[in-house]
Amino acid sequence: MGTAPTILVVEDEPEIRRFLRTALVAEGYRVVESPGGRRADIDARAHAPDMAIVDLGLPDMDGVEVIRSLRSWSGMPILVLSARSHERSKIEALDAGADDYVTKPFAIGELFARVRAALRHAVKTAGGGLVLRFEDAQVDLERRTATRAGEPVPLTPLEFRLLAALGRHAGMVVTHRALLTEVWGPGHADDTHYLRIYMKQLRDKLERDPARPAHLRTEIGVGYRLVAAD
Amino acid sequence: METRKARDYAWAVGAAVACTLAGRAISPPLDAVNVAMVYLLGVVVIAQRVGRGPAITCALLGVIAFDVLFVPPVGALRVEDAQYVVTFAIMLVVALVISELAERGRREGEARERLAVQAESERIRGTLLASISHDLRTPLAVLSGAASSLAQQWERLGEAERRALAATLDREVAAMAGHVGKVLQMTRLESGAAIPVRDWASIPEITAAVIERLGPRLARHRLVLDLPADLPLVRVDESLVEAAIANLLENAALHTPPGTVVHVRGRAGADSIEVTVEDFGGGVADGDLERVFAKFERGDMEAGGGMGLGLAICRAIVALHGGRTWAERVPAGGMAFRFTLPLEAAPRVPAEPVNA
Repeated sequence: MGTAPTILVVEDEPEIRRFLRTALVAEGYRVVESPGGRRADIDARAHAPDMAIVDLGLPDMDGVEVIRSLRSWSGMPILVLSARSHERSKIEALDAGADDYVTKPFAIGELFARVRAALRHAVKTAGGGLVLRFEDAQVDLERRTATRAGEPVPLTPLEFRLLAALGRHAGMVVTHRALLTEVWGPGHADDTHYLRIYMKQLRDKLERDPARPAHLRTEIGVGYRLVAAD
Repeated sequence: METRKARDYAWAVGAAVACTLAGRAISPPLDAVNVAMVYLLGVVVIAQRVGRGPAITCALLGVIAFDVLFVPPVGALRVEDAQYVVTFAIMLVVALVISELAERGRREGEARERLAVQAESERIRGTLLASISHDLRTPLAVLSGAASSLAQQWERLGEAERRALAATLDREVAAMAGHVGKVLQMTRLESGAAIPVRDWASIPEITAAVIERLGPRLARHRLVLDLPADLPLVRVDESLVEAAIANLLENAALHTPPGTVVHVRGRAGADSIEVTVEDFGGGVADGDLERVFAKFERGDMEAGGGMGLGLAICRAIVALHGGRTWAERVPAGGMAFRFTLPLEAAPRVPAEPVNA
């Protein structure tokens, strides 16, 4: 990336918009601001940003609608800002095409981490081949091989597919429903217990401390997030 | 409600029977007129003590019994005898007037009682408000001091002072966000707005997520996890149970000396799973084991930091899932906070071959 990535910030509260702009510009990003949902689409078409940050609590338009309309024509990563304890609206936003979320109130470091993961994802999707690197394990998704400290680790076909589904969105959250649909099929979209069992198996096989996983993270009430080493 | 009504009318019938028996006892020496007075007395008592409907019933039964048993020819009902219609009419009026007066008295008594209850809850609310406002005002004072200092004295402050003030803001805001979050969660739980969204969840997984989220707040304690690999899944609202466990861990970190061990244990019983957070702090007196779960109740006032909502939130969440929360002193000193969650038979997951 030669030039600084441009980020569209869709936020009605001027105070939050100002602090987001200040913080993001200080990190070296270019920022375009939209004061509401209706403007978001126009601003996105006019500035062709590399990603968008959308507050779910917009007064003029449902945040989920904003995401749907952006997603209808743009593949850019969309990061959602949502209030705590509103799991349902988070999940709706993710199902509508958002890639990740940050819960308000948040520390700025958390927002930067999400923004970096989202922008990296956008580059990687254009790339291809995927190798997931853990602390002392490594998974080659294309060759379907896994090793730990040099020794091969036997993984089942479904374990590979689950890792691939998480790996394609590395650094970002993937909802229970999205994982179940992708790995087990649409008929199993509500079989959350499959995920609980398989995530435990994967952690036991790949995490250094399965009881406190560093890579296969739980997003309470929403889904899972794979955090791989760069 | 229905059984109460039935009981009231039984009283009315009982009173009529009692009056009849009393009338039989006094009737040979005394006149039939005096027997009528006995019935009137019965009607007055029922009207005053029980209510209008039963009093009318008692009057009606009384007049019929009086007519049949005491007015010659004994054993026959002579409705054409006009004077007993008058007797009945008088009894009816007495029943209505007395029951109305008694009802008014009862209503006034209830109103007085309601007012007393209201005053008591006002008083409790006042104490809570005082407690909340103290807990929120202190960090707010620190925040506004640090922020206004940065805003107004920027040039006069050295680099190091600015950094220190900014760090204070960062830390105090995080604490404040925690307090406000707890007050909001308690409010949601109490108002019944927190409807659990149940799905299969894993206690070890939730515990790991709690530890990850609380991070620095647990860093000064040594955490030991004892969660068996074969612990069954539970069907719960994952976010709420996360909050329940988080509150127990925060509580342990807040009330025990740094460097001590905090144990998280999980155990499956026949029909429930039991989660324990055990600490090695001072513990509380036996008499306070139940009190610690009350809202705004803090083990020790000087320990500061907490609002005394954590354990109350934990208990409310567990109760919402049909579980139980309690505290025990542990022999080694310190406390064990335990809660249970009901177990349901988990659906099977099809086995799958490993492609080695």
